[in-house]
Amino acid sequence: MIQAHELSKAYVDLHRGEFVALDGLSFQANRGEVYGILGPNGAGKTTALRILSTVLQPTGGSAIVNGYDVVTQPSQVRRQIGFMSANTAVYDRMTAWEMVEYFGRLYGIEDEPLRERMEDLFERLQMQEIRDLLGAKMSTGMKQKVSIARAIVHDPPILIFDEATSGLDVLVARAMLDAVAELRDQGKCIVFSTHIMREAERLCDRVAIMHRGRLLAEGNLDALREQHDQPDLEELFFELIHQQEAVVTA
Amino acid sequence: MQWKNVKLIFLREMRDQLRDRRTLFLIAILPLLLYPLLGMSFMQMMQFMQSNTAKILIVNAQELESPELQDAEWLPPLLEGDFFSPELIPGKTQRDSLQVVRAESLDPEDPADIPLLKIEGETPEQHASRLLKAGHVQAVLEFPAGFGKGLLQVRETVIDRQPAGQTNALELSPTYNAANEKSQSAQIRLERVLRLWRQKITAHNLTDSHVPIQATQPFDFQPVDTAPVEQKQVVVLSKILPFVLIIWALTGAFYPAVDLCAGEKERGTLETLLTSPAMRREIVWGKLLTVMLFSSATALLNLATLGLTSKFVTSQLAANPAFGSLGSLTMPSASAMALLVLSLVPISALFGALCLACAAFARSTKEGQYYLMPLMLVTMPLMLLPMSPGVELDLGTSLVPLTGLILLLRSAIEGQYLQALPFVVPVLGVTSMCCLLAIRWAEEQFASESVLFRESERLELGRWLKSLVRDRCPTPTLPQGVLCIALIMIVQFFVSVAFTARSAEETSYSFIVISTLVMQLGCVLAPAALMTIFLTSKPAKSLLLDRWPQWKHLGVAGVLALLVHPLSVRLSSAIQEVYPISPEMQGSLQQFQEVLFGSPYWWATLLLIAVLPAVCEEIAFRGFILSGLRHLGHKWWAICITAVAFGAVHPVMQQKLSAASLGLLIGYLAVQTGSLLPCTLFHAFHNGLQVGVYRAAEYAEANPNSFAYQLLGGKDPALYQPAVLLLCGIAATLLILSLQKASYDRTKEEKLQEARDRGNTPLVSV
Repeated sequence: MIQAHELSKAYVDLHRGEFVALDGLSFQANRGEVYGILGPNGAGKTTALRILSTVLQPTGGSAIVNGYDVVTQPSQVRRQIGFMSANTAVYDRMTAWEMVEYFGRLYGIEDEPLRERMEDLFERLQMQEIRDLLGAKMSTGMKQKVSIARAIVHDPPILIFDEATSGLDVLVARAMLDAVAELRDQGKCIVFSTHIMREAERLCDRVAIMHRGRLLAEGNLDALREQHDQPDLEELFFELIHQQEAVVTA
Repeated sequence: MQWKNVKLIFLREMRDQLRDRRTLFLIAILPLLLYPLLGMSFMQMMQFMQSNTAKILIVNAQELESPELQDAEWLPPLLEGDFFSPELIPGKTQRDSLQVVRAESLDPEDPADIPLLKIEGETPEQHASRLLKAGHVQAVLEFPAGFGKGLLQVRETVIDRQPAGQTNALELSPTYNAANEKSQSAQIRLERVLRLWRQKITAHNLTDSHVPIQATQPFDFQPVDTAPVEQKQVVVLSKILPFVLIIWALTGAFYPAVDLCAGEKERGTLETLLTSPAMRREIVWGKLLTVMLFSSATALLNLATLGLTSKFVTSQLAANPAFGSLGSLTMPSASAMALLVLSLVPISALFGALCLACAAFARSTKEGQYYLMPLMLVTMPLMLLPMSPGVELDLGTSLVPLTGLILLLRSAIEGQYLQALPFVVPVLGVTSMCCLLAIRWAEEQFASESVLFRESERLELGRWLKSLVRDRCPTPTLPQGVLCIALIMIVQFFVSVAFTARSAEETSYSFIVISTLVMQLGCVLAPAALMTIFLTSKPAKSLLLDRWPQWKHLGVAGVLALLVHPLSVRLSSAIQEVYPISPEMQGSLQQFQEVLFGSPYWWATLLLIAVLPAVCEEIAFRGFILSGLRHLGHKWWAICITAVAFGAVHPVMQQKLSAASLGLLIGYLAVQTGSLLPCTLFHAFHNGLQVGVYRAAEYAEANPNSFAYQLLGGKDPALYQPAVLLLCGIAATLLILSLQKASYDRTKEEKLQEARDRGNTPLVSV
């Protein structure tokens, strides 16, 4: 469903000159799996996912999302995905219902199917209470629910979550992870970036570990543990990062 | 672009803005309150000004009260009690506003009079100065000793018909403080009273000496004004209304734009929208329509409340005889009002797009608000220029953005439709061009990652300059292309100002050579060449000089120049028929042409007129600037903007229009052939033909039997006949169409745009 090939992104920075945020990332994510992208802050996770959601353009490489090219067919790509990150907020001066309806219409859903879909979503995500509540009056948990509803209102085959649990309390984060697992069970292809190892262990079928824009390791969690002879994912993560740091320093 | 998405975004943004109390206050509530409040304050201020009396200290008034003068019929009384005589100031209100204080009647025991008393040792000047400075009185009038006797002597001299010079001239010198407005106003009123008093004394003296009053006024002077009253009354509004309209259109556009762009960035909802299927262009248009609507609504509400308040205030003032001269205001005609409302579409589109582009650049609402002032500073001179005395609607002013539009609106309000008609097309053309450019800029801002995801960076000039050279691109960037246009225009402006002063005195061949060399090499070539060297890593590619063109393209360029010549001459004369060149300019151009084209050094003239501009202007415009602008991703946008800039740098207004249209052709030639040489060849041939045809026409006139006479002789030369023009037009079109097949080099942005335009089918079947 997602094929990224040698994706790169470089910026021109006043101090550092050309700064490579993403350096030749290649991976494939399939239907019915959660593909985790693990990495510390600044690893290039957000850049990679922004490229997949066509918000940014790569400076090298290519990515195909459900058959559409992220560079030449951005509108079609955006119809295939639901994107949610810490940077995708809800509108303060719109109610939950209005916001989800607005995005549903932008995805081109007709009135009646949209109303049915929204009724179903609001019921499943237990959002009926906040239906007419303005975004400005919502708690973080409520906002997160609205964001999920907004991202899946068009029932996309692919979902991209970029550190979606960042800043959430334990209860809301758990509800969020449950929602992701449910979507995976529905056969969606999910790309889930995080720097919290427990989330990755709990949710991801396969993971990619990234640091300084590069892919350090990729594969099934058990296979990775076995390959690196390290049962603890967090330790495995640190080892890989340190190895990379040593290479860079040398 | 899907208009369905634009409508959705527009409706959402409208709802969002209507739920924002700050925006609503600014757009709807403020205009409703502002003008009535201002009107009320004005009325109160006027009442205060009316009731504000001025005190005049009269010193030595007993000069007029000697027994000979007291009951003299020929001397009308100046004072009556504490005021001036009713004969001299008609109307009680007016009279009461000028109170008289007699110095001799001041009571040393009265605390109110004590400050007015003269202090011992104080000179009359010091006394007056002290009182005026302290504001106790607003003017001091001292009758000099012997003033009464002097008046009597003057009368006797007149009645006895004594020769002139028998009496000394009398003088009254009221003292006032020009730095104090109240004192200045009192002095003006006092002077009016004294003049009338003097006039009455003169009239009595002349009547009693049997000299008709006409002896001092042999004729009366009464100007006749043919302007209808309504037109005079509408003149005030014709200056104010367009200004108010534009200033509020800008303000009304700015705040919603900041909220819709910088505000959304700040609140994190912009990225949410960017991940929806809506295209960036659809987002820009949805937001732009919202901003336009708010801008128009703000301007209209302000206009309506200003009009109603002004009408009310002036009608109240007109009822008061003291302000009768202000008169009541006549509202513009319905058609002028309709035009004002209609003009809001381009004005709000222009400001909306400019504000959106600026607001998109800002990281936060606070930062966005900082950009209002620069935007105001840029637009304010264009808004104030039409209000300057002597600035009228002509071809020059009609081509100035905003200024032309304001002048056109002013003419419409004044009912001068016929005079304004020829300038509708240039004003609309320039306004549409500015709107399109502003919208395009806003779209660019929304498509730019560096703008949307801009992070704060410390400004270090040294590092920035270093990075300009270190991180330079192979060809110029879009901002560098725009900067080059601005640089050429600025340098050219200063140099041309310096040369204009000298050209009035001198039009020698050497002066023309020097000025042309400076203008071309210094103003056009130097900025482009320096920017190419320092800011690009592949100068030859930047200037389209990295490869030799195809021979056939050089041939096409040469033949095209020959075919376009008669069309270009006809276009120029058509432009001059609609917009005639002023006689002064015509004279200068003719002198310039005679000196230059008539010179025996024809080869030098050819180099100067044909080769030099062709090389310099092509390197700058079709080389550096066009290369930079092609990063827009649409070749026609780049060609059009380059052509407009190319036209704009030509000195004569009428030349600008024809040069811009030629610029389109040369720009197309540059893109399709991928080389600067065909452009330079075309440009040089085109300019060279002007010299050649001028000399050939001279030869033709001298040799009526020659072929040249058949072609160029007579009043209406055969070369410019419609049939020849038609044939040249057809042949030129065919040649241009032949270039369409050329596989030209596309920029990265152009390739991407073409790929995006190609289709929506999946690349890989799923």
